[in-house]
Amino acid sequence: MTGRQTRSTIGMLAPATGLIAIFVLVPMVLTIGLSFTQWSTQTGFETASFVGLANFADLLGPTSIGRDFRAAFGNTAIYTALSVALILPLSVMLGLLVHQTFAPGGILLRTVLFSTYMVPMIAVALVWSKLYSPTEGPINQMLGWVGIPPQTWLSSPRTALVSIVILNVWQQVGYFTVLAVAGLTQIPRSLYEAALVDGASAWMQFWRITLPLLRNTLLFSAVIAVINAVQVFEPVALITQGGPVNSTNVMTYHIRRVGIERAQGGLGSAMAVTLMLSLIVVIVLLFTLLRDRGEQR
Amino acid sequence: MSTMRPYRRHPRTWRRGALTLVILAIAVAAAFPLVWMVLSSLKTPEESMQVPPVWWPGSPNLNAFTEVAGVVNLGRSFINSAFIALVTTVAIVVTSLMAGYAFAKYRFKGRDWLFAILIATMFLPPIVTLIPLYRLTGYLGLNANLLGVVVPNLANAFGIFLMRQYIKGVPDDLIDAARVDGASEFLILFKIVAPSVLPAIAALTLFAFVYHWNSYLWPLTVLQGNTDQYPIVISLSRLLSYNRGAMNTGLVMAGATLAVLPPVILFVFLQRFFVDSIVATGVKG
Repeated sequence: MTGRQTRSTIGMLAPATGLIAIFVLVPMVLTIGLSFTQWSTQTGFETASFVGLANFADLLGPTSIGRDFRAAFGNTAIYTALSVALILPLSVMLGLLVHQTFAPGGILLRTVLFSTYMVPMIAVALVWSKLYSPTEGPINQMLGWVGIPPQTWLSSPRTALVSIVILNVWQQVGYFTVLAVAGLTQIPRSLYEAALVDGASAWMQFWRITLPLLRNTLLFSAVIAVINAVQVFEPVALITQGGPVNSTNVMTYHIRRVGIERAQGGLGSAMAVTLMLSLIVVIVLLFTLLRDRGEQR
Repeated sequence: MSTMRPYRRHPRTWRRGALTLVILAIAVAAAFPLVWMVLSSLKTPEESMQVPPVWWPGSPNLNAFTEVAGVVNLGRSFINSAFIALVTTVAIVVTSLMAGYAFAKYRFKGRDWLFAILIATMFLPPIVTLIPLYRLTGYLGLNANLLGVVVPNLANAFGIFLMRQYIKGVPDDLIDAARVDGASEFLILFKIVAPSVLPAIAALTLFAFVYHWNSYLWPLTVLQGNTDQYPIVISLSRLLSYNRGAMNTGLVMAGATLAVLPPVILFVFLQRFFVDSIVATGVKG
């Protein structure tokens, strides 16, 4: 490699790599380091004092620190599982409707679904807090029309978390639908023609061809859906503040409250590290379960 | 194909009609929250409070919007949002083009692992680095200031990934010919490579703009309650706790409508690029 080439390589890479190193990689390493310290976020890094695994012991311990953290962790796990369980099947179903050319309306559906993905989460939270209103809201009114009694939605600890899952799925499903459509376009048409010759029903075609060949798409979607789900913040910060009775206290909200608002930087970092490790475990599990090992080809 | 289908003409038409109805019903249901938002912003406070809810505003008016302007400094917030979204977007496009070009067309030691590390940051939820980042921008004197919102977001891994995917498809001959003519690498990048990946630039522009227009967690944290510097999404979040009286619902809906408009309008005009780029980056064969 000549000198000129080396210089231009460095010149091209330096801005992006440097910025990402300073503002993502360095903070990442700092988070790990700080998780072993007691440190107030309001003071410099040099005031952090090493406490070993004490923060992690607190997270697992019997005090309110541990109880609140485990509640937030559990809520996030439920929230994530529910989101993925709703988003994946919906994205395939809606993807099939967008992709098919038998009936008109696919592009209209895609436009509507994807435009909700552009809506700021803050506006989504504002609007849904009113849609869910037990008395003046239209959702309970419509449920009434089909004979379903009014629901408590955001105001009861039993239903608040699920209510936030629903508004989040509404906002995000368009993105995953587009991913599903991208996967569907990659399936060779000849496979369906062959299946038709063999007399396979549409139902059979879906289970034997469509779904298996969407495997990589669904794996990618699942990973992104999990990562998006642990980031839920706005509806909680705006509407529920973690309540009622801690039922919507999720990780992003809790970590920010502890690490920034209460300035317990060491403890907050330990929570962030735990979140990251859990994410890695979940993603590795998803890959092991869903990866196409090619055994059927 | 059609000869193989056993259905006669009549049931086929019927099935097509039924499927069209299903698609329309889903589209209407998906659009409902946004339609309700706009309708509610035009209602009178009395209509907003009525039980059961009124669907159609009897005398549509813009009072709620005027009221929002009284609670929130709308002009300033919109300027702040535009500053954040525009500066980050321009910077992200430029830094991504440069790094994407290097990763796509240069051969150098450690290229693949450097790329892998950068891509890994794409999957890192921002909360994981939030606490030290807040201190770091504090050291740089950027807290409570719009610059603190912008500076950590001038480059991102998704942009690099997207640009690399598209620039890989630019023919080497084109680049080599320019090199023979003595063009500098920067000239080649901005005069030859960039114009051939315009769809990717359009997609990244829109992604970055919408993401940073909508972002909430980092601005809320770094601005430390300095309301002068608030972008529109943070200013509007104050509406929900403001005056929980009769006017509240209209206010909230008018505010939400204002926040939704810029990203959604941008999307409607340029959705093709969004969709193409998701196909290009989301699914690998």
